[in-house]
Amino acid sequence: MNVMITGAAGGLGRAMAVECARRGYALFLTNIDAPALAAIQKGLSRRFCVKIYAEPCDLTDSAGVDALMAEIDRLGLRFDMLLNIAGIDYEGGFLRREREKIVRIVALNDEGTLRVTHAVLQRRNPDARFCIVVVSSLAALFPMPLKAAYAASKRFLMDFGMALRQELTGQDANVLTLCPGGLSTNDEVCAAILAQGVAGSLTTNAMERVVRKTLDLAWKGRARYIPGAFNRLLFLLGKAVPASWTAALIFRRWTQTQKKWLYPTQIP
Amino acid sequence: MKTIVITGATSGIGLETARLLACRGFSVIATGRDAGRCKAARDSILASAPDAEVRFYPADLMRRKDALDLSARIREDLDRTSAGCLHALINNAGCAKSWYATTEDGLEQQFALNYLAGFLLTYGLSPALSRAGGRVIMTASQSHKGARVRWDDLMLTRRYNPLTAYKQSKLCDVLFARALNDRYAALGIRAYAVDPGLVCTEIGNKAGGVVGLVWSLRKRHGIPPSVSAEAFARLCIPVQHPAGLYHDRHGEKAFSRQVTAENAARLFSVSERLCGISYQEET
Ligand SMILES: NC(=O)c1ccc[n+]([C@@H]2O[C@H](COP(=O)([O-])OP(=O)(O)OC[C@H]3O[C@@H](n4cnc5c(N)ncnc54)[C@H](OP(=O)(O)O)[C@@H]3O)[C@@H](O)[C@H]2O)c1
Repeated sequence: MNVMITGAAGGLGRAMAVECARRGYALFLTNIDAPALAAIQKGLSRRFCVKIYAEPCDLTDSAGVDALMAEIDRLGLRFDMLLNIAGIDYEGGFLRREREKIVRIVALNDEGTLRVTHAVLQRRNPDARFCIVVVSSLAALFPMPLKAAYAASKRFLMDFGMALRQELTGQDANVLTLCPGGLSTNDEVCAAILAQGVAGSLTTNAMERVVRKTLDLAWKGRARYIPGAFNRLLFLLGKAVPASWTAALIFRRWTQTQKKWLYPTQIP
Repeated sequence: MKTIVITGATSGIGLETARLLACRGFSVIATGRDAGRCKAARDSILASAPDAEVRFYPADLMRRKDALDLSARIREDLDRTSAGCLHALINNAGCAKSWYATTEDGLEQQFALNYLAGFLLTYGLSPALSRAGGRVIMTASQSHKGARVRWDDLMLTRRYNPLTAYKQSKLCDVLFARALNDRYAALGIRAYAVDPGLVCTEIGNKAGGVVGLVWSLRKRHGIPPSVSAEAFARLCIPVQHPAGLYHDRHGEKAFSRQVTAENAARLFSVSERLCGISYQEET
């Protein structure tokens, strides 16, 4: 079983890679950060007896993805699973962030995912079932002021995943869209979760569990996975309440949280 | 002047132990993860002991590469200042976490920092330790008694409980001390594990979440870190190696029944594999 993981050197990507290696899957890992990618490749190779390839790539660069695929073809690899984990977020108000940084959110989260998914689907193992995981977010469920571009980019992925899944029915393939709340992927995210107080803890999911269930549910053919009962409740509420209300509510809450966390010096 | 190395000396138990040992006439090489905090800690030690010999090296010990680079830098320092001899290595840097999180190479963070970083550093410094008949001291904890090593899932990915992971990492510290004694007594190296007691430090607050809340209440009953530092001084100051494996500031004490020669040897070989190193080559 061959699995490709993008964003494999990040918190969630690493946890996915560990779980896949534990299950005995052969891995092809990619990430923009070459030294970090080498670290996880070596770390896994020391622990598990599975084949682990790694190749750095900037997924926002089309030529880079072509080169990545050329390397895959050179190795003669065909895949059974694709985990689209690579994604970024820059917190803060629209005008408080640099223009190109905001644009990059869409370039990686959406365009990058499209590029890789399109290319890897053409390199699926023709004789076996194929699974794709797209990482959306709880943020995709609402318009989110102060995370506007990020939340919208995740909404794109949610709809894309659902639609692609339909297109692939009858081709022995499934697309699972993962919509996690908080995950303790790195120190920065942990700080953000803490700044949200009780709400942060409530929406935070145990990463090791999410990882295992995501893989299991993807193989079982599930379309969407929202970890945590509280998050599922938020999802239902989000559907019932008008978008302008949720946007206003979220804006109030995030203004408080981000004051505490992003701009602590501004607190009198 | 004898030289000691202590990790995690920018706050809590490590800072007070570095201060105490510097005051008692040791040359202290200390480490922390943040350069700014290293400088502040050095200033604070020099303020209480102006003649102290203390230098700090920053390194993020959760990263394998940093730990190996750090041991290379310390070796150079020892060659320059102490004829390549190290009297004691105190592996003290540690953390508590609220959630499952991994290091760059995919290891659970408490296991990686509280135990494996010490394993790596001891490996890098073992020639200098053996030259001086040195001591290795692991900051363990009484909580190691409630733990067993989960050999089939060392990183505890199945039903992760942060407290269980913490306790297991501390049990590993005691097992490592035991393994060092079993393997390297002939080289003159002697290892100990220390129970610092319940100490009023920020360790749990840095974890946040539920762990942070519980710790805020618990630490009120703790002793000041300067008091727990005495446990380390008792093991560093005597000319002869003190007897025993597990100590607190009053002396030797009983450790977990999980600390067997078999478990110690097993953990040692797993750790060599996880780190991609072999002690045999270095010593
Ligand atoms: N407090 C207790 O009651 C108690 C009881 C039993 C055992 N212990 C053990 O005692 C040791 C010291 O704990 P403490 O209570 O003194 O906690 P502490 O005040 O938080 O000290 C921990 C030290 O480790 C450093 N550190 C953290 N992450 C690091 C990293 N990634 N790389 C390098 N250094 C890092 C910290 O740096 P920063 O200053 O930058 O955070 C600090 O210098 C730990 O091993 C702990 O498990 C404590």
